[in-house]
Amino acid sequence: MTWLHWYLLVALLLFCVGLYGLVQRRSLIAMLIALELMLAAVSLNIVAITSLSGSSSSVGQVVALILIGVAAAEGAIALSLFVAIQREVQSINVENLSELKG
Amino acid sequence: MNWNAFLFGASAALALVGALFAVGLKNIFHNILGFALSLVGVAGLFLTLGSDFLAIVLLLVYVGALGIAMVYAVMLSQPLDTPRTPRSLPKVVGSALLAAVVAMALWLVIRRAHFPPSGGSLEVTPQMTGYRLLSDYVLAFELISILLVIAMMGAVMVARKDRSRSGRAASAAPKASP
Repeated sequence: MTWLHWYLLVALLLFCVGLYGLVQRRSLIAMLIALELMLAAVSLNIVAITSLSGSSSSVGQVVALILIGVAAAEGAIALSLFVAIQREVQSINVENLSELKG
Repeated sequence: MNWNAFLFGASAALALVGALFAVGLKNIFHNILGFALSLVGVAGLFLTLGSDFLAIVLLLVYVGALGIAMVYAVMLSQPLDTPRTPRSLPKVVGSALLAAVVAMALWLVIRRAHFPPSGGSLEVTPQMTGYRLLSDYVLAFELISILLVIAMMGAVMVARKDRSRSGRAASAAPKASP
């Protein structure tokens, strides 16, 4: 195992913990937390691969910065949607959001 | 190198323990604290990779801004003392199984992949990152700023109280009258 493999292993575990949380939790905010963990794992992966393998490591930094920006935008939109849903349905538990269920 | 290995181990442990807190604990507020802890660990991992600027941005955006926004969303939405029905065991086992299968598959891919050894130095200065952002990746940079502005305006639009001019509010109006 090289150093790169250790970094990839940590990112893999972080990603799968996030995946578990995304599937298992029912509160929308908890699901958003799990999703952000997965995004952080992805950016860790990109930075580790570009700095420990290949030649140009500043590309990974740029991609990770853009990823952080997208994650911030996504988090802002998601949290405001949660507040709107709470106002409408009085719950942010996904099991109560069954208005469109056939 | 030894100091770097110690920093790597401590940061990785912090990231994983924080992730387990963020996912496993019942209280949503503890989840947010675990999330912040986990991202401090990820920022430490970025430090060991020589990307200091990225670590600082990660701390500012995720731990600072997003953590506080999540705390606000919790305060505005979910009372912390609502009774929680426990998750049924087959669903918990099923999601753990799903995560384990995905982990195994990804690990097999990682073991098989061939990574060429690094050519350049590990250190990346913020000057290099900024130069790349404003030369090769200027389109992505501009698009991300437009995206952030639109997301901010959209968040305000979605979350504001007065929705009388939107079409969806009109259809919900009969239900709202007491």
